[in-house]
Amino acid sequence: MIYLDSAATTLQKPPAVAQAVTRAMKCMASPGRGGHRPAMLAAETAFACRQAAARLFHMDNPEQVVLTFNATHGLNLAIKTLVRPGDTVLISGYEHNAVTRPLAAIGGVTIRTARSPLFQPEELLRSFAAQMTPEVSCVICTHVSNVFGYILPVEEIALLCRRRGVPFVLDASQSAGCLPVDMAELGAAFAAMPGHKGLYGPQGTGLLLCGGGAVRTLLEGGTGSASLQQEMPEFLPDRLEAGTHNIPGAAGLLEGLRFVLRKGTGTILRHEQGLCARAAEGLARMDGVTVFAAPSPEGQGGVLSFTAEGTDCEDVGQALGRMGIAVRAGLHCAPLAHCTAGTLETGTVRVSFSAFNTPQEVDRFLCAVRSLFRLKRR
Amino acid sequence: MVYYLIVCRSLTYAQRTAAALERAGITAHILRSPKSISGEGCSHSVKVSERYLADALVVLSRVGLTPKRIFIIASDGSYKEVRLL
Repeated sequence: MIYLDSAATTLQKPPAVAQAVTRAMKCMASPGRGGHRPAMLAAETAFACRQAAARLFHMDNPEQVVLTFNATHGLNLAIKTLVRPGDTVLISGYEHNAVTRPLAAIGGVTIRTARSPLFQPEELLRSFAAQMTPEVSCVICTHVSNVFGYILPVEEIALLCRRRGVPFVLDASQSAGCLPVDMAELGAAFAAMPGHKGLYGPQGTGLLLCGGGAVRTLLEGGTGSASLQQEMPEFLPDRLEAGTHNIPGAAGLLEGLRFVLRKGTGTILRHEQGLCARAAEGLARMDGVTVFAAPSPEGQGGVLSFTAEGTDCEDVGQALGRMGIAVRAGLHCAPLAHCTAGTLETGTVRVSFSAFNTPQEVDRFLCAVRSLFRLKRR
Repeated sequence: MVYYLIVCRSLTYAQRTAAALERAGITAHILRSPKSISGEGCSHSVKVSERYLADALVVLSRVGLTPKRIFIIASDGSYKEVRLL
């Protein structure tokens, strides 16, 4: 099988990830819940995971690294800390439902959307600047569109927020592990990310990087600290980590983080961009295919969408699946992004890459798409 | 051997404390705080040898880590709080 759905979950992982998960299940208990060896081993693993994340994302304090279930969990924590009914929030036109649904759930929130056509970061930045009026109490922006791979100018948006004193939340779901996410430089209030995509950890893992300031809880319960208090501890990470940790997940995520640190985000990004450009070029040569590619590969992460005239995107996804090629079709849980790009009616077929894909796999994918459309035209 | 226990607000804080001390060449062990000194309920402490306490406090101050409380393990096994001047 050729797996081209890493924007959902990376399937191929460094072998050390699964080994670490197995070892954790066999040897580790729960951090902070005992002084015995299995509990202390679990504690060491969780701490090493926080330290590796702090190193990768340029944070001084590993206590500010919160272990979550996924990016959605982290985004909910961030959004429900910063946004209250009656607030005005500014988001990009490329946000995922993991951002828009929590905002809708709060109720009474005015959502402003900064829009620009695809791959026009200067125009998007102008839209953010124009709409960041004094009523705006929070800005939320994805780093890379999960549908189109469009790299948004988040450093500049974060700078605008700092200048205007507005908290900034970064959704690093598609960028963590392949683009620089520098918390010290961004000055973000929060950055949320999954563990199971570009960080090569297991599903059910994620990280919330906290920039400082008070945080609201989503869950309350045991933390192994300050047990006599009935309120959740004020300090991180305990405040946001009620209940037993997913230690096998953290052990796997630690190995994924180590893989990324060893390889370097720049190397991974260049590899994925090369594959993306190869796929875009091949698709663009096919009649009736519309490819959403950046004018230059640097403007796009390892995610590429396309549509084929007269063919339902889900049919393409299904047909490729039968041919042993895993892609994703539809709206990708991001109707706002499709609305902005004008693909809400059709959806798209999305191919997305990881450090483990090869140019040969891209060529086989192109060959499969070509044969599919050839058959269809007959 | 006489030991001091540096009581920390959380396990992660204790891990940061121990890591900072180890980086400075001071042997430090994390353990669950004895019930009698844990204050607000469960907590973790970092155990350091008597002869390293002064150095440990300098290191911790340098990296911005503040011990919550410090106890000395007395010869009869009881814990006595150490007041820092």
